[in-house]
Amino acid sequence: MKKKSIVSLSLAASMMLGMTACSGSETTAGSTTTIPDQIETTAPDASQEDQKSLGYEYGLGKTFHADEKVTYTIFFSDASWYPMVDTWKTEGIFKKIEDLTNVHLDIISYDSNDYMNNVTLDINAGEAAYIIPKIYDDSAFVDGGAIVPASDYVQYMPYFVDFYNTYNMSPDIKTITRSNGKYYKFPGMLEAQALNYTFVIRQDIFEAAGVDVASMEADWTWEDLLEALKTVKAYMVSQGMCKETDYIWSDLWCGNESGQGNGGNLLKVMGITYDVNAGWAIADGMRYDQDKDEWYFSPTTDEYKAFLEMAAKFVNEGILDPETFIQDDTEATNKFYNGQTVIMSMNQSQFAPCKQNCEEMLGAGNYELYLTIPPRSTLYNYSTAGNVRLENGVMVSQKALDELGEDGFIEMIRFVDWLFYSPEAYTLCKWGVEGETFEYTADGGKKLLDGMYCGGLGYGMPEGADGIDIRLQWGYAGGNYFYGHTIAEMSDNYIPEIKHMVESNTANREIPPLAPGIAPTEDQNEEITLIATPLIDEVNTWTLWFVTGQKDVSKDWDAFVAACEGKNCQGLVDLYNKIYKG
Amino acid sequence: MKNDGFKSPLRSRRGAVGGRPLRVRENMGYQVFLVVNTIIMILISAATLYPFLYLVSQSLSSEKAIVSGHVGLIPKGFNFDTYKFVLSKGDFLGYYKNTLIYTFVGTVLSLIFSSMLAYPLSKTELKVVKFLTPFIIFTMYFGGGLIPNYVLVVRLGLKNTMAAFILPMMISTYYVLLMKSFFAGTPKDLEEAGELDGLNKFGVFVRIVLPLSKPIIATMTLFYACMYWNNWYQAFLYLRKEKWPVAYYLQTIIRGQGANDPDAQQVATNIKSCSMVLTVLPIICVYPFIQKYYVQGMMLGGVKE
Repeated sequence: MKKKSIVSLSLAASMMLGMTACSGSETTAGSTTTIPDQIETTAPDASQEDQKSLGYEYGLGKTFHADEKVTYTIFFSDASWYPMVDTWKTEGIFKKIEDLTNVHLDIISYDSNDYMNNVTLDINAGEAAYIIPKIYDDSAFVDGGAIVPASDYVQYMPYFVDFYNTYNMSPDIKTITRSNGKYYKFPGMLEAQALNYTFVIRQDIFEAAGVDVASMEADWTWEDLLEALKTVKAYMVSQGMCKETDYIWSDLWCGNESGQGNGGNLLKVMGITYDVNAGWAIADGMRYDQDKDEWYFSPTTDEYKAFLEMAAKFVNEGILDPETFIQDDTEATNKFYNGQTVIMSMNQSQFAPCKQNCEEMLGAGNYELYLTIPPRSTLYNYSTAGNVRLENGVMVSQKALDELGEDGFIEMIRFVDWLFYSPEAYTLCKWGVEGETFEYTADGGKKLLDGMYCGGLGYGMPEGADGIDIRLQWGYAGGNYFYGHTIAEMSDNYIPEIKHMVESNTANREIPPLAPGIAPTEDQNEEITLIATPLIDEVNTWTLWFVTGQKDVSKDWDAFVAACEGKNCQGLVDLYNKIYKG
Repeated sequence: MKNDGFKSPLRSRRGAVGGRPLRVRENMGYQVFLVVNTIIMILISAATLYPFLYLVSQSLSSEKAIVSGHVGLIPKGFNFDTYKFVLSKGDFLGYYKNTLIYTFVGTVLSLIFSSMLAYPLSKTELKVVKFLTPFIIFTMYFGGGLIPNYVLVVRLGLKNTMAAFILPMMISTYYVLLMKSFFAGTPKDLEEAGELDGLNKFGVFVRIVLPLSKPIIATMTLFYACMYWNNWYQAFLYLRKEKWPVAYYLQTIIRGQGANDPDAQQVATNIKSCSMVLTVLPIICVYPFIQKYYVQGMMLGGVKE
């Protein structure tokens, strides 16, 4: 008995110690720094004399170059549809980077499907590479100490600072800033958001049915789209192209694989136009009210109700296939490629493969595609491109700082600056080498040389053509090393359809106001997750019930709101506002 | 099993007395049962077979026919081009070769070390067994966890080596316990006779116990081989691309599009199907001949005389 008591006491003591250790994490948040509107470069003078003693060259408008060859480890997300091959290292992108900078990249490659899992494991095991690109969410690494705060080193990065200051990135950077006032990744920065996710339609069938989308899209609403699709369906039925019971819209990126149980891309796009969180963008459902200067839970608002009513109409009217929300992506694309459906979610990078598949399935001349911009709601005219001008970014590991020392680490940071933020590296990573893979046109644009192709840039190699795909062969235009940058740089590869779609969206839609970021502590983050996880599961379930017609918005709305309240949505609102207002 | 005098209706029907078939009048209920039972079994078999046959059909069909949704159990646009493509493409054969090597080397090592661990454990007269057995069983329920195991493999310098794939799962506690139970049933007299004839303990194990343990060795060979053939997790953790087994390669092409990256492009369905068929083919071919060992394996050690 005495033995038992001792064991119990020891256990209790160790638990107390553990709890004390855990609670310490909140207090280690550190001193809060503010994100400046403009960053001052505090780096040593970049004059020739100073740089001689540094052992490397760097600076705005210059190519980073190390006097002595240096090697940095770097993670690489290897996509199975354009896998890395040896020629990338011996004559392609990595060789060119080394030739220009004298930096040898020791690549630790993981399959893109498992990239984040492998990277997380390596970071947690203390085996991280020095440079960690392609990071969307850095929150899992912030408190572990394995990642160096990016914000502590940006003053050493001339290209980063120049972009930040030129395009006033401060409000955007504040959205990724943690409670200690620091941010932990160098994000991809965009001059402005260009519309990426939208819809592709079968222009030939729409036109035959007497629907001219191009003239409608500037101001069309979801109601207009529904009416247009009803007209198209009536035409298709009359021509024997489908039956009255068939659906002519069975959407992509909403079902089992990509939809993640929340309705995926379609509900996200539609939700943004109603100023609510839905689909891929549901997150924790919280949205910021600019007028009241406070946060609210968007799924219980009137806007959300209006959004649900509109989405449900597409299914009720026999236009949108309810299988959209449970099918595999391949089923959705197959229905579009073989002409069963006439509209489908699309993004910039998938448009070229989509055209190629239609060509193979339907035959040249038997189809015509049109990339339209998403309709607006009756409430807002928001662009679905969103308003945050950041995308995935690069982290650097503490291991690099430990092993390279402060000076060596700053040298590496300046290389990272050149690789991810300089126009020169952007062009190299995206287009390859001038004269070898691409050339400048008279108007200052870029075009691939004859015999060069690149599916990743929208210039896929036609079947039977004799040429080289610069992405497959040399690794250019991959997803690891170019993101962000100016509108001119982002749009230098646009094919006419995409250029038209982006410009039409910019001309006809408004950018929604940017919500301020909140900076919860680790404990607050956990509390948010604890409330939000079951709450959002509930919201997603009800949302899909409403949209697919299993529940009626007019009858069951109150029950839905009650279910959200039962899952403590008000607690989430209170917590958010408490964090926001400090 | 002893004959307890019970005669099932089936046995009555087929049984013989005095050389003549015994005809027992089957009641209506039993006949209905047989019909319903047969129908259910056919349905279950069809449901089990359908996905595989569909896969085979897809792998022999043209991509256009698949995308058009015209392919059912009968291939459309029949061709062997996909098989030719997959088998001539370096990637697949390389991964296949890796799997064969991992399976062969892994199975041999697993059998050697598992049996060498199981044999002494079966000797209850050894004092250390009392301590060692619970210690080993403990590892069935509690492990170091992902990160410590990962750190261990990495710090041992095994990352991206064949050892990283084989070593962490070389000894399965459950299989060791099965072998231990089987070895415990070896007649002691035979072992003692061997010792009297001059064999040492290792000699007794190799020359007497192992030859008498062919059923458990066969079963364990099958279990371990299947385990290595199907495993992809160690590859995900420790191996770079050139050392992947085919099971992990399959995973990557099947998940090629969707969940994580909408920008991903789809690997053609017929190539996926063909790769899956080729991967499971060896197991499918061998399974009918060895499936009885699966059942026996599960029974081994579970029944005491």
